[in-house]
Amino acid sequence: MAFFIGVILPYFTLAIFVGGMFYQLARLARVPLHLHWELFPYPESLGAQLGELVSEVVSLRSIYRHKRKLWGRSLLMHWGIYLQVFWLIMVLFGGRGYAWLGMVGGLACLSGALSLVLFRYVDPEMRRISTPADYLNLLLVGSVSLVALLTGFYFQEAAFQRYLWGILSFRPVPPSTGSFLLNLFLIQVFLLVLPFGRMAHFAAKYFTYHKVKWGEVRRHA
Amino acid sequence: MRKVFDDYRALADSVLRPDEPKVDKFLAAMARSLKKKDNWTFWLPYVLSLDYCMKCGTCAEVCPVYLASGRQEIYHPVARSEMLRNVYRRYFTLGGKLWPSLIGAKDLTEEGLNALAESFYRCTVCRRCAYVCPVAIDNGLIVREGRKILDAIGIAPDELKDFGTQLQVKVGNATNIGVAAFRDIVEFLEEDIADSWGVQVKIPVDKKGAEYLVMHNAGDYLAFPETVMGAAVVFHAAGVDWTLNSPATGVNDVVNYGVFFSDVELEKVVRAHVKTAIDLGIKTFVIGECGHAFEALKYLILRLIPEKERPFEIKSILELEAQWIQEGRLKVDPSRNTEVVTYHDSCKLGRVGGLYEEPRLILKAACQDFRELQPNREMSLCCGGGSGFAIMAKGDFLKFRMETYGKLKAQQLLDVGADVVALACSNCKGQFREIINYYRLPVRFAGVSEVLAKALVL
Repeated sequence: MAFFIGVILPYFTLAIFVGGMFYQLARLARVPLHLHWELFPYPESLGAQLGELVSEVVSLRSIYRHKRKLWGRSLLMHWGIYLQVFWLIMVLFGGRGYAWLGMVGGLACLSGALSLVLFRYVDPEMRRISTPADYLNLLLVGSVSLVALLTGFYFQEAAFQRYLWGILSFRPVPPSTGSFLLNLFLIQVFLLVLPFGRMAHFAAKYFTYHKVKWGEVRRHA
Repeated sequence: MRKVFDDYRALADSVLRPDEPKVDKFLAAMARSLKKKDNWTFWLPYVLSLDYCMKCGTCAEVCPVYLASGRQEIYHPVARSEMLRNVYRRYFTLGGKLWPSLIGAKDLTEEGLNALAESFYRCTVCRRCAYVCPVAIDNGLIVREGRKILDAIGIAPDELKDFGTQLQVKVGNATNIGVAAFRDIVEFLEEDIADSWGVQVKIPVDKKGAEYLVMHNAGDYLAFPETVMGAAVVFHAAGVDWTLNSPATGVNDVVNYGVFFSDVELEKVVRAHVKTAIDLGIKTFVIGECGHAFEALKYLILRLIPEKERPFEIKSILELEAQWIQEGRLKVDPSRNTEVVTYHDSCKLGRVGGLYEEPRLILKAACQDFRELQPNREMSLCCGGGSGFAIMAKGDFLKFRMETYGKLKAQQLLDVGADVVALACSNCKGQFREIINYYRLPVRFAGVSEVLAKALVL
C-alpha cells in the first residue's frame, strides 16, 4: 500500500493533474474568436487589470459587496488554501519553522469549508441549487486540512521535503508512516479531481475575465 | 394556453407546440451548439458558463426578476441556467453519463423542455448578474444560447422572428411601414415640429452621400414620434448634412431582434444594415435611441463583418449629441427644462455599451435639475423591456413584466422624485410607458434627444 500510494500513485496523479489542466486550458485557449461580449466598465490597462484581479483573489470583493453572508466563510476557506499552498512552496524549497503557517491555513480552510457546507445545507436558497458534488467538493477540501491537522502533518516539513524531491527527481522513497500516507492519499485525490470539475474555476477565471467580460475593445473603439 | 412553467406564457401555442415531441430535436440542436465550428460566435463564453458556475448565488442577489418576485425559486438565475446545464451534463459530459445524480445531470423530458422554453423568456439578459459574479459566469448568455437552440427547432417568439427580423429584412422595417406611408409620417412630423418648436425643419429622406444616416427604431415613428422629432431638431440645429431613409433604399429600422435569440438572424439584419449604408454612400451610420441596436452595430458586428466591408463610421446619436454640445456646435439653455429629470441606464447602452457619460453630459447641459436613480450605471436595474419583452404582451406577459422588473423600477422612480425620466432606448420607452400607467406614477418619460431639443437655442 505504501509503495502504491507513495510511489506509483504520485506519478499517475501528476500525469492526470498536469495533463488534465493542460487539456482544460488548451480546450479553452484554442477556440475561435467569439463575438464581443464585454461588460462596462472594465479595467483597460494591464496594470489596472492585474490590480482588479489581485484585489478579487485576495478579498473576494464581489461576494463582499453582493452576498455578505457568504463572504466570511468563503474568504476563510480561500485564504486557508492560499496559506497551505504557500506553506507547501516554502517546504519544497527548504523552509523550516513554517508549520504554524500550514496550521493556520489548515484551520482556516477546514472551518471555512465546513461553514460553507453548513450554509449550503441550511440556507434554503443555497440548498435548492446544490447538488451532491457541491457538498463533496467542499468536504474534500476540508478533509485534506482536517487530516493534516489531526496527524501533525504540517510539522513533518523535513520528511515532506525529502519525499517531494524524491518524487521530482525520480528517486521516490515510500513514506514510512501511515499518517503520512493518509495525507498523501487525500492530497492526491484532491489533485486528481481538481482539473475536471468546478474547482478549476481559479484557472477558468482567466478566460471569463480576460477573454470575455473585460474583452479587448476600448470604450470608444 | 395551458400552463407549462408559471402563470404566464411568452410563447404562443403555435410557437411552443407544447404537445409535440421535441426532445430529440432539441438535443441534436444542442449538440451542434457545443461544437466550435457550428457556434464559433459564442463557444468560449458559453462553455465557460456551462462548466464553471460555483453556485454561490451571488447572481440572485442582484437579479431584478428574482428579487421582485419575492425570491421565487423558479426565477433564481442559477435555477434557470441549471435547466440547460442539467441537460448538458446528462447528455454531453462523461460525469453526467456515469453519475448523473451526483452532479445534477437530468434526463430531458417533453414537459421539462416546455418549461425550459418558457423560463428562458423570463430573463431579459440584462447581465447584471454577470457583472457581479465572482467567476464572471454569465446566466444571460446561457439564456441567449438556450434561445438559440430553441430557435433552431422552430421555437422563437413570433414578435421577434416572424414579425421581427424576417419582416424587417423583407420589407425594410419590423413595423411594416411602406415607402409612401413613411414619407407621409415624415411630412407630418415636419408639421408637428413647426407647431411644437416653432421652427421649420426639412427632414431629408433617402439622400445619397450624406454625412450622417440617422436610423431610428421604426417603432419610434409610431409610438415615440417625439424622439424622432427631437433628433431632427438636433440635427437641424447642428447644421450638418444628414438624412433619414425610407424602405425604398433598404432597411430603415435600426432594430435587430436577432440580438435576443439567434446569431443567424442577427447576422442577416446586420448585413442588411451595412448594405443599406453602403448603397446610400453615407459616411456615418447614426444609431437612434435604441439599446440593442447599439450592441449589434457597435460591438457584435466587429467580428461578424470585416472592417473593409463596412466603409463607414458607426455612432450612437448620444455620442454625437454629447460631442456637439462639448464642441459648442449645439447651444443649450437648461432653463427651458425646469422639471426634475432623471435618467435610466438602458442595459444595452450602459453595462453592454459603455455609454454612461454621454447621456449625463447631455442631460446635465439641457436640464436645470438632473438627479440620479439609485442604483445607476453598471448596477442599473433592468426595466423589464429588454430582450424584446417590451413588444411581448400575450398570455398575461404584460402582467409578468409589471409585477417583476416593473415593480422595482416604479419604486426607483418614486424614490428619486423626478417629473421626467429620460430614456435612450425604445424597449425601455415601451416598458416605462406601461410601468407609468400600471403603477399610476406621477412621472412622464421622454427621449434624451427630445429633452435636448427642448433646450436648444435655435
